[in-house]
Amino acid sequence: MTAATKLTAPEAPVTSEGPAPVRIRGLSKTYRVGFFLNKQVKALQGLDLDIAPGQVYGLLGPNGAGKSTTIKILMGLVRASQGEALLFGESPDRPHVRRQVGFLPENPSLYEYLTGREFVTLAGRIFGLSGQELDQRVTRVLGEVGMGRASDLQIRRYSKGMVQRTALAQALISQPRLLVLDEPTSGLDPLGRRQMRDIILAEREKGTTILFCTHIISDVEALCDRVAVLVGGKRVQEGSVQELVSARTPSVELVVHGLPLEQLQALGFTYEHAQQLDSRVRLRVPDADAHRLLQAVIAQGGRVSSLQPARFSLEDLFLEAMQKAGGQTVGGEIQ
Amino acid sequence: MGAFTAMAWNGFREARRNRVTVLVAAFALVLLFATTLVTEVTVSTFDRVVTDFGLGVMSLLLVFLSIFLSSGLLSREIERRTIFLMVSKPMSRSRFLLARLAGNMLTLGVLLVAMTLLFWMQLVLHRSPITQPQLAALWGLYLELFVLTSVGFLMSTFASQLVSALVSTGLYFAGHLCGDIYNLGVKSKVELVQWVSKAVYYALPNLERLNFRPRATYALPVTAAELGSATLYALGWGALFCVLATLVFERRDFR
Repeated sequence: MTAATKLTAPEAPVTSEGPAPVRIRGLSKTYRVGFFLNKQVKALQGLDLDIAPGQVYGLLGPNGAGKSTTIKILMGLVRASQGEALLFGESPDRPHVRRQVGFLPENPSLYEYLTGREFVTLAGRIFGLSGQELDQRVTRVLGEVGMGRASDLQIRRYSKGMVQRTALAQALISQPRLLVLDEPTSGLDPLGRRQMRDIILAEREKGTTILFCTHIISDVEALCDRVAVLVGGKRVQEGSVQELVSARTPSVELVVHGLPLEQLQALGFTYEHAQQLDSRVRLRVPDADAHRLLQAVIAQGGRVSSLQPARFSLEDLFLEAMQKAGGQTVGGEIQ
Repeated sequence: MGAFTAMAWNGFREARRNRVTVLVAAFALVLLFATTLVTEVTVSTFDRVVTDFGLGVMSLLLVFLSIFLSSGLLSREIERRTIFLMVSKPMSRSRFLLARLAGNMLTLGVLLVAMTLLFWMQLVLHRSPITQPQLAALWGLYLELFVLTSVGFLMSTFASQLVSALVSTGLYFAGHLCGDIYNLGVKSKVELVQWVSKAVYYALPNLERLNFRPRATYALPVTAAELGSATLYALGWGALFCVLATLVFERRDFR
């Protein structure tokens, strides 16, 4: 299994602004499954993570990578098998720690017999708010998520997007210092996704630390300061989006006409990507090989219609990380 | 309103919005029909029959409701994942559990009061007396509902709604029969039967200790000592089930 790559992770968890909002060391979780609980699924295996104040931190990975398990341990929904997970330097089980955290789970489910306003008010009361302050905050957060007008309808009449927004409103009611979002844009239409992104960016402007997990790479690229890629319960990459992408060897993409893919493969070059498209072949090679390949193609009677630098995207990084991890895409390690 | 009160009140609101109050209407109709019938067929035992019938129907409806509500409450929350947003809030799991229990007991209490008022109205309309044993029987019924609700809660921390309901129903019948099971052991000459019947008697709550309905029917007074002892007995069993429910609930993973 590939060892975790740490490019520039912060060394000191305690900053001038206090303890790190999230600090995870050696976190492991093993689920027992099967009728006799005799099988084990390793959902997390020795995860380390530090999130500094004010960061938007993305957990990226395929289904079953351990993203949601990490978040559930931080939110006290799942007990860790080993290791420690701290919020603001303390156990997540402590009520005064939880008061500083807002949580939006994946596909949130709310009490359907309540109206949106009643649900957010209930959440506010659990956070210890009351009276006029509570009423004002409820009205404000419902307005912020675009639910001001529909807040007096029962939740059972809401669409999925409306439920997601109301769930986000209840996460914001306590004005949290840390916002934990599990797949916040899944199931939303393009407008809803855009609005959700805007809300996350607005929270970042306020200085809120945000941890969110997703498998939608464009969201990570648009929102995150730092990213950790999880595969099979292990962290395989960690760093800022820019660092992760620019740290790659530059490569060049060529489109070749007049030569079949087999003939190009016989030239002896190592291709990062090779694809036959009708009468063309799209190739990606390291920058250092580009000149020699160009000459070889022309010598073989081929024609190059396009040659441009290839941008290494987070998606490439993600796919590469999965390949290195043995192509494991779903679930943890099963024993 | 604190977090605990807010959650408990929400439990009551949930039951109300899911129209459990329809039970009160059902009770009113059955009572009206029964008293009309009873006045036709009885000569001198009207009070006795109406008391027996009224308290019996009340008990049946509320026991059914308490099993239905308690067995599904936590398992439904877990199944529908509404629990994710509650357990992650700044409220301990045990407080959440007890707040839900309190909400259920509030619902049952309000329904019991509403049914009691209807029952008394019938008695007053027919110039029958409201007696002390009737009050004792109503209090005993509420204690019984508390024990059954606690069992339902315990089961729903780890089992499905169906299993919880079946176990709670089984315990209701076993709880009312365990005195007879004990007596069976006393009369038996087989040592194993004696031992098993004693074990069953002590392992299950004896719900007949909380049943003052026969006394109310025959207007036999219930002493304060008897009521106090029944209250402590029910609270003891309820507390035991709540502690066990908390222990299970605290350790659960919500995946």
